[in-house]
Amino acid sequence: MSYFSKFITLIALAITLSNYGQTADEIIDAYHENIGGIDKLKAINGIKLTLKINQGGMELPIEVIELKDGRQMTKITFQGQEIMQGVYDGTTLWSTNFMTMQAEKSDAEALENFKLGLNDFMDDFIDYKDKGYTVEMLGVETIDGTEAYKIKLIKEPMTVEGQLVDDVNFYYFDKDNYVPIAVHTEVKEGPAKGMMAESTMSDYQEVDGIYFPFSMSQGVKDQGAQPVTVVSIELNPEVTDDMFTFPDSMKTDGGK
Amino acid sequence: MKTLKLILTLLILPFLGQSQDLAVNNGKALFGDLTARHIGPALMSGRINDLTLHPTNSLIVYAGTAGGGVWKSSDGGVVFQPIFDDYCQSIGAVTLDPNDPDNTIYVGTGETWTRNSVSIGDGLYKSTDGGVNWNKIGFEKSDRIASIIVNPKNSNEIYVGVLGALWGDSSERGVYKSMDGGQSWEQLLYVDQRTGCADLAMDPNDPNVLYASMWAFRRTGWSFESGGSTSAFYKSTDGGKNWNKIHNGFPSGDLGRLGIAIAPSNPKVLYTVIEAKEPSKKGLYRSEDGGQSWNQLNNDFGITVRPFYFSRIVVDPRDENVVVKGGLSGSISRDGGKTFKNLGNMHSDIHDIAFHIKDSNIMYVGTDGGVYRSMNGGVTMEIVENLPLSQFYHISLDNATPYNVYGGLQDNGSWYGPSSSPGGIEAKDWHSVGQGDGFRVLKHATKPIIYSEMQGAENIWRIDTENSLIKTVQPLPADEKAKLRYNWNTPIAMSPTKPDRFYVGSQFLHRSEDMGDSWEIISPDLTTNDPSKQNQEDSGGLSMDNSGAENHTTIFTIAESPLNDQVIWVGTDDGNVQVTRNGGKTWTNTVANVPDLPANTWTYHIEASVFDAGTAYVVFDGHTQNDMTAYIYKTTDYGASWKSIVTDHIKGFARNIQEDLVNPNLLFLGTEFGLFITMNGGETWLKFTNNMPSVAVHFIDLHPRTNDLVMGTHGRGVIIIDDISPLRDLTPEILNKNVHLFDIKPTVINEKSDFGGNFGTETQFVGANPSRDVQIKYYLSKRHTFGKMSIEIQDASGNKVGEVGPGKKKGINIVTWDYRLKPPKVAKGKTITFGGFTSPKAAPGSYKMVMTKGSDTFEQSFDLILDDKLPMQPSDYKERDRVSQLLFDMSESLAYMVYQLDAMIDHESGNKSSKILNSMNALKETLVITTGDNYVGAAEPQLREKIATLFSKIATSYDKPSANDMENFDRLNKLMKEATSSFEPLKKKFKSYDQLELKDKASFLDTTN
Repeated sequence: MSYFSKFITLIALAITLSNYGQTADEIIDAYHENIGGIDKLKAINGIKLTLKINQGGMELPIEVIELKDGRQMTKITFQGQEIMQGVYDGTTLWSTNFMTMQAEKSDAEALENFKLGLNDFMDDFIDYKDKGYTVEMLGVETIDGTEAYKIKLIKEPMTVEGQLVDDVNFYYFDKDNYVPIAVHTEVKEGPAKGMMAESTMSDYQEVDGIYFPFSMSQGVKDQGAQPVTVVSIELNPEVTDDMFTFPDSMKTDGGK
Repeated sequence: MKTLKLILTLLILPFLGQSQDLAVNNGKALFGDLTARHIGPALMSGRINDLTLHPTNSLIVYAGTAGGGVWKSSDGGVVFQPIFDDYCQSIGAVTLDPNDPDNTIYVGTGETWTRNSVSIGDGLYKSTDGGVNWNKIGFEKSDRIASIIVNPKNSNEIYVGVLGALWGDSSERGVYKSMDGGQSWEQLLYVDQRTGCADLAMDPNDPNVLYASMWAFRRTGWSFESGGSTSAFYKSTDGGKNWNKIHNGFPSGDLGRLGIAIAPSNPKVLYTVIEAKEPSKKGLYRSEDGGQSWNQLNNDFGITVRPFYFSRIVVDPRDENVVVKGGLSGSISRDGGKTFKNLGNMHSDIHDIAFHIKDSNIMYVGTDGGVYRSMNGGVTMEIVENLPLSQFYHISLDNATPYNVYGGLQDNGSWYGPSSSPGGIEAKDWHSVGQGDGFRVLKHATKPIIYSEMQGAENIWRIDTENSLIKTVQPLPADEKAKLRYNWNTPIAMSPTKPDRFYVGSQFLHRSEDMGDSWEIISPDLTTNDPSKQNQEDSGGLSMDNSGAENHTTIFTIAESPLNDQVIWVGTDDGNVQVTRNGGKTWTNTVANVPDLPANTWTYHIEASVFDAGTAYVVFDGHTQNDMTAYIYKTTDYGASWKSIVTDHIKGFARNIQEDLVNPNLLFLGTEFGLFITMNGGETWLKFTNNMPSVAVHFIDLHPRTNDLVMGTHGRGVIIIDDISPLRDLTPEILNKNVHLFDIKPTVINEKSDFGGNFGTETQFVGANPSRDVQIKYYLSKRHTFGKMSIEIQDASGNKVGEVGPGKKKGINIVTWDYRLKPPKVAKGKTITFGGFTSPKAAPGSYKMVMTKGSDTFEQSFDLILDDKLPMQPSDYKERDRVSQLLFDMSESLAYMVYQLDAMIDHESGNKSSKILNSMNALKETLVITTGDNYVGAAEPQLREKIATLFSKIATSYDKPSANDMENFDRLNKLMKEATSSFEPLKKKFKSYDQLELKDKASFLDTTN
């Protein structure tokens, strides 16, 4: 198919979809195609994001690394101190305790739920059927002022306070260009339990042939959100094991 | 190439879109970040219609509320979250599919305890994902749904008991059945146009055995009738195909409302509570044989009181002899219904009770004042504190800072509370100013006086809030000419121009010029004075019910023109629209000039225009005549002609309209299903849905200083949309611009304490505060999804002082800048220093917002200003900022010194023979903390901590530095000088300094960490 005819097809889809004859699969395919193609996504082995958030005048630099093999880390730096959050070395999930500045392991339930996401590197929808996920097209809704396809994605059941619950996510794909612009997920724990968490994505820009959102926000729907700016994205970054490893000095007899 | 494709798509697609104009926009594509803010209160909560428990997970509790939607608790009823905000908020029944209780939920709308102030429903809804998404599956005209039952052995088999229309004839009533999960319905039991299904039950062991109670009932604006020959108790043994009356043992003659309960532990045992003509035959009946015969057990007051309001009976699932009955206080029997005692102390008017699925000591009770929990079988009751279901009839505002909101509630008195409060608006921020059913509450414009009205002017309190003094000022009859007729929701009003003037409406308009101490009647009877609508002592049907709530042929709304105090508008509940142009000397009834309006439609609200004395809006409410149409009219000639401004965009009958104070085409309309806004004088209306439930909006006010739109809702408390002024600018021309910047209002730098309560609020509803930050507002014609977009703040000289994450929505975006500058860079130590996180406030002055969107740049200037109500002088703030800046610089100089020193130490650390290393380490230990942790293991503070602490102390103060602060500052200055004089010689001595490849100070300070 020539680029031109493909282009016309996209336009036609955008028009006919207001009657929504479109299936969830067609939208997901168009999304993958539009951001650069699923083959390119699958070829990535790791990603490093340099982010910043602003809190009360203070700009916090954040570095996130995620690897295809599941290892990942988030590092926040202030006053020259490095705070590690959600670090996974292939076995242990750990974070820095802010009071002692020492590594502490996450609880077992958090670890098990975290592991469920290891097969979602880069994108929930890559090979979603193979992962046992289901998708459902729920229709067109207005979100962020613009019309979007609402797709329900159910992933592996997760454990919340000892109970198995469905991991349900509602993705909103911009009707004009098929990229996700918002995700809703019910908050499952804590004081906001039962409310709808909302993430939004925008400022899509190209990195090595793939489009990534360079601006995100996270919050609870209708309750305000924290903007997150992506300063840079590096694909297939160089990493060393010690960036992820739970420090030996903190290991106890009970857990290696 | 994919890039090219995408860019092409992006370039071309916008041309396919429609141009923006007010006629085609939907509200969600326009209102953007304008978001409703809920302030409750929840301390008195509101009426509950139905409680439902999950059959296997004891932590899940649902509350179907009379006017506030459906709420779900996942922690056994400690806190609840709303799950039905986008739909009708008046709930009759909530039912879980027993075969799929985690996912499949049915909600029948339209409350069923049919008091005068009930709302209406609009059908049956189903969710198959635990309440996240909902579909309406029928019964659009059902008005109110009493019961939904799913066969525990077949999810597709559903029975629905439809009570039906309260205010008129309807054939959409009775018992219905679906065999396909709700896709299609068959009416199984129907009696007539005024008899509906009040209760429905299924034998838990045999789904073919059903019991239904049919009830003849009707309300008008002036009467209520319960009971008739068609009321009956039916049984079916074949899944609803055939029904037989089972009245063996019942009283003879007409019956009223009947409740039904089956004992789950022994389904042969049934209870019913019977409303009958003969008092001795009313009350609780029990059957031991599945309804073949009945015995009367009890006719105490608690069992027979107000059957239309209280007929719920609930049997303990584990004990057929423990039975609870709703009522004024709620009654519990432990001897099979022979004797009862009251439930524990809680809000009166008990509508539903639910026993915990495993432990009968744990009970949930739904009342006119929210949900209560009991851990000891109903002896002690504790209220759920986070259900803001308050049912306001009316609200008003004052001009305090922050302004207060005043209003009265169904069965919950009258209150006022602040629109913001440190830490959020808590229960303790609300003040009680009336009892009983509260209605209109008004604050005197200049004096510390509040007027508060209760139940048909039984009391109109005048409260001196300064001295806590109370008197009543309701007009009493001065002669025998006529009995005064006051509406249950008696109108009281103040003059917009004369602060001591006060109006009250009976059938006459009463005016006082001295705050209610003396009264003058300034009108004839302005109503139809129809005697057929004045027989309230006969109201109630089988059970007399003359509470005063049905008083009719009364004045309902009063409005003096803000432009001419001789022009007064009066609307009556029987449909008159009266106006005087000479202060009451002569009156003209203009309702005959209103086109296409059914006779005697209730004149609910008249809004006298702020732009022109001859202009007014009138809202009529026909729902008490079973007419759910919205009626809104405008006159520009004192009522000589009226023009409808209703369009099909409006859903629900309307009760209130608010005119904007600046743009005459901007109007806000409250209907039974939410808030609607027009920006073109009523040609098109947009529903406002941003955090705004589809709740009945009974009254709207607009604050003239803040431009906040404040709504009194009947089920979700007070809801505010902060500063609606961007809507004033949204002309079609502006909507067609890609980007439009709204003016940024001068922002007062907030120096006030933010110590909030926050004690004991863990499970309490706390109302959100408005933002006090700089509000940057702009309109985007299209969502920004691709390419860069950023906002930075610059000072008057063009220096960047901050960054703001921009909003990307199509429509109105609101982002805030908290006018905090970056904190100083602090020296790196073993631990952090909390003082170093202090971000100083920007100085007052002019600033500029610079938005970069793709290759375009947009700029907007704004001012930060000092709070001139505070006692400090500008020179105080200047001195504070000057000293703060010195400490800021000191901290950064120290940071750079430690940066160099660390590099030097690092370089030498491998060198055991280094002589200089010890000196360098010794110096460092005086500069920063090198041991300990961030909590109780903290080490002795060093210079870094001392500087940061004083910096924080001064920068966060409202005041100039004290003499002691300056002594401490001098000391630190000296220590810093000493440190410098220790460091510089070391640096000189350190031969390899140039090899360290250190950043210069400016670039070191420029890095963010």
